[in-house]
Amino acid sequence: MKNIFFILLCVVLPGTVFASGGEHARLDAVHIDLNDKESLQRGARTFVNYCLSCHSASYMRYSRLGEDLGIRDELVKENLLFAADKPGELMKAVMPRDDARQWFGTAPPDLSLVARARGPEWFYTYMRSFYREDKSPSGWDNTVFQHVAMPHVLYEWQGEQRAVHRTVKHESVVVKDGKTVKKLSEEKVFDHFEIEKPGRMSTSQYDAAMRDLTNFMVYLGEPAKLVRYRVGVFVLAFLAIFLVVAWLLKKEYWKDVH
Amino acid sequence: MEKLLAWIDDRFPLTKVWEEHASKYYAPKNFNFWYYFGILATVMLVLQIFTGIFLTMHYKPDTALAFASVEYIMRDVSWGWLIRYLHSTGSSFFFIVVYLHMYRALLYGSHRQPRELLWIIGVVIFIALMAEAFMGYLLPWGNMSYWGAQVIISLFDAIPFVGPALAEWIRGDFVVGDATLNRFFAFHVIAVPLVLVVLVFVHIVALHKVGSNNPDGIEIKKKKDANGIPLDGIPFHPYYTVKDLVGVIVFLMVFSAVVFFAPELGGWFLEHDNFVPANILQTPPEIVPLWYFTPFYSILRATNTDLVLALRGIVVLAALVALFKARGLSRLVALGMAGALLAALFMLDAKVWGVLLMVGSLLLFFFLPWLDRSPAKSIRYRGWMYKLALAVLVLSFFILGYLGTRPAAGPNLIIAQVCTLLYFAFFLFMPWYTSIDKTRPVPERVTK
Amino acid sequence: MSEGVDRDKRRFLTLLTSGVGAVGAGFAATPFVLSMTPSARAKAAGAPVEVDISKLTPGQLHTEEWRGKPVWILRRTPEMLQSLPALDKQLADPASTVIDQQPAYAQNPTRSIKPEVLVVVGICTHLGCSPIKKLEAGSDAILGDDWSGGFFCPCHGSKFDLAGRVYKNVPAPTNLVVPPHMFLSDTRIVIGEDKKGGA
Repeated sequence: MKNIFFILLCVVLPGTVFASGGEHARLDAVHIDLNDKESLQRGARTFVNYCLSCHSASYMRYSRLGEDLGIRDELVKENLLFAADKPGELMKAVMPRDDARQWFGTAPPDLSLVARARGPEWFYTYMRSFYREDKSPSGWDNTVFQHVAMPHVLYEWQGEQRAVHRTVKHESVVVKDGKTVKKLSEEKVFDHFEIEKPGRMSTSQYDAAMRDLTNFMVYLGEPAKLVRYRVGVFVLAFLAIFLVVAWLLKKEYWKDVH
Repeated sequence: MEKLLAWIDDRFPLTKVWEEHASKYYAPKNFNFWYYFGILATVMLVLQIFTGIFLTMHYKPDTALAFASVEYIMRDVSWGWLIRYLHSTGSSFFFIVVYLHMYRALLYGSHRQPRELLWIIGVVIFIALMAEAFMGYLLPWGNMSYWGAQVIISLFDAIPFVGPALAEWIRGDFVVGDATLNRFFAFHVIAVPLVLVVLVFVHIVALHKVGSNNPDGIEIKKKKDANGIPLDGIPFHPYYTVKDLVGVIVFLMVFSAVVFFAPELGGWFLEHDNFVPANILQTPPEIVPLWYFTPFYSILRATNTDLVLALRGIVVLAALVALFKARGLSRLVALGMAGALLAALFMLDAKVWGVLLMVGSLLLFFFLPWLDRSPAKSIRYRGWMYKLALAVLVLSFFILGYLGTRPAAGPNLIIAQVCTLLYFAFFLFMPWYTSIDKTRPVPERVTK
Repeated sequence: MSEGVDRDKRRFLTLLTSGVGAVGAGFAATPFVLSMTPSARAKAAGAPVEVDISKLTPGQLHTEEWRGKPVWILRRTPEMLQSLPALDKQLADPASTVIDQQPAYAQNPTRSIKPEVLVVVGICTHLGCSPIKKLEAGSDAILGDDWSGGFFCPCHGSKFDLAGRVYKNVPAPTNLVVPPHMFLSDTRIVIGEDKKGGA
């Protein structure tokens, strides 16, 4: 009885992590599939061509990328090696950090672990939530990360969109000078995006490209993910066999005990 | 082979130790599920030390290099990712096992006479383990590592008079920094593990002196056969070596499932904020210690001026009860203690009381053998009061644990305060409810 | 008590469990043992090095670092090459018969792929000091009047010729090591890799 209680608690409590919410914008679901090598390769290409200029992925080596994604050394050298000389090198950003800090007010963070720190949904939504904002220094803002210093690097792909807000009326009850008073307030809440200037890709094309990039970022955060499920299955299978054998041994000896 | 054994036995008590502690050490034959957690805790200790040694081959205890060295282990070191996950998952599983091991004691009265010292050594191990885990968590130098350490060490600041100097001495600097990281590394890698190994050895020596308790809470040594062997005892080897092997394998399967398929466990075992390097300019939105500390963290945060007020009321009530119900010396002692407590509740502010209650919630465990006045050891023969009290303790502990991960405000704060009071009530009222609780007759021989 | 204990069954099951357990221990030990092998970082640092020798004039020596060791690339003049055969009698291993000291393509009178370009690890085969370059033939205070050019190790006095071959009666036992290398073009050499693959 007590055991069941415990097991239930241990099973239910981890689920509460999903209640942690408290985030500003809604986050869109994204289908991560690290077995889709082509998707990872497309994501890698986007990352190296567009992101690596400012953002480093300084815990990752080009050669590892090549090995894991099935890209031969010569192709790695031809297509991915802009910011380094040898495939064995770490993926450092092109832009010097101090210059970046001067230009953007803050150094663009290393992105090796962004998918682990923020989650794939956050990254996927962020990359699709830039909008034109004349009042900002870069001319851009982002509903997922308000006042972000990063401009929309991929605007040529997605096009330029504007954020359309709607007014939401709030009615709250406030105690003022001992009297209960109704307070009416209005709040501008983000409603949807509207494409002002279309880009080279349609919405679904851009979403697919961002899915590939997110897929790649998940891999970048933990390359071991490609391997650990397989090893895990093997380990559990072995332990299951070991369990059967050990249990037979136990049963045989415990025949003595009454 | 026999000649070799004889040669060794002439110079080292090998066979004697083997017989005394394994092949002729008699354990009760009715051990159940709750009795696996001792050996599992030992397995976890060995695993953590072993994986820890291999991590130390690659980890760099320098604030400029630490975070990168962990990613180096995860990516560049052959199978480094596995060693890291074994160690991080191992840390959480160690606490799961230890909590269940302690719970077993509460179920069957393993803290009672003649096992009081065994219990005390265990509580010391638990506290050493918490220190070990706390210091280990700083090492990855992630943002949660840094800010968690900052918050907890600043608790020492709250101690009157010596606080700030003590906190500075622990840190080795004015803020948590390279000096702190290096010394936590030294403690985590060698000092505390040595202490833990010695304590576990002493713990087992103490256990073997008195013999194990069992689910019925009766002393098997009271009924021995003509040869002096307990009637309800079976030699540890081969019966429990063989049974424990099965238990260990099942445990390893559960453990492996997490290590290989969900090492982060949704952020419970590896916090998301810790995948960002320590940033002294940017605090994470919520500073949350790892799950195994959250109940105590919750008690710390629940203690505000409201709770201190409530405590004053409770102490006054307790004093009144002592005044009318107690007699003679015990009445004087009770009133004296109540007076001292009341004075402290007025002189020390809530922040200090938070620390005191958090530490107190741990220290209470030491007194358990003497707080428990029930004639029966095992819950099987106790009355409904203890069962209710234990359920309330467990529920409060879990709720406090969960609330420790949320901001301490609003209804959450009230619930945490109530649970804190219930937690303390389990211990402080125990002498009373365990003596009036109606127990069932305890059997002479063990049951199934 | 029950009927007799089936000792054979117990022995069998114990052996079986121990066997499976031993296999498991082997599996478990493997990642730990492998974690001690050179990491990707070590392998990257020890990766082959490309050298451009277009600016290397005859008689000039360039030092390149590979795997933490100095590798000398010497463009030998015709005179230097001509001086080599006459030294055979003074050398301990003139024909480079000790195969560990050079790849097959360097087991020749000039110990090189192209006669002019010598590629050799600049570490004395005695106890690991780095010899001084004494490339000029002629009189030398330490090496005597008949010095034909080569390398002299100051630590214990070992001498090597302009093909890295060790002289007789010196402490060093073998010729200087020729590392795996290959020509990517007439002016580019890669050290640490040859047609057989990486070192």
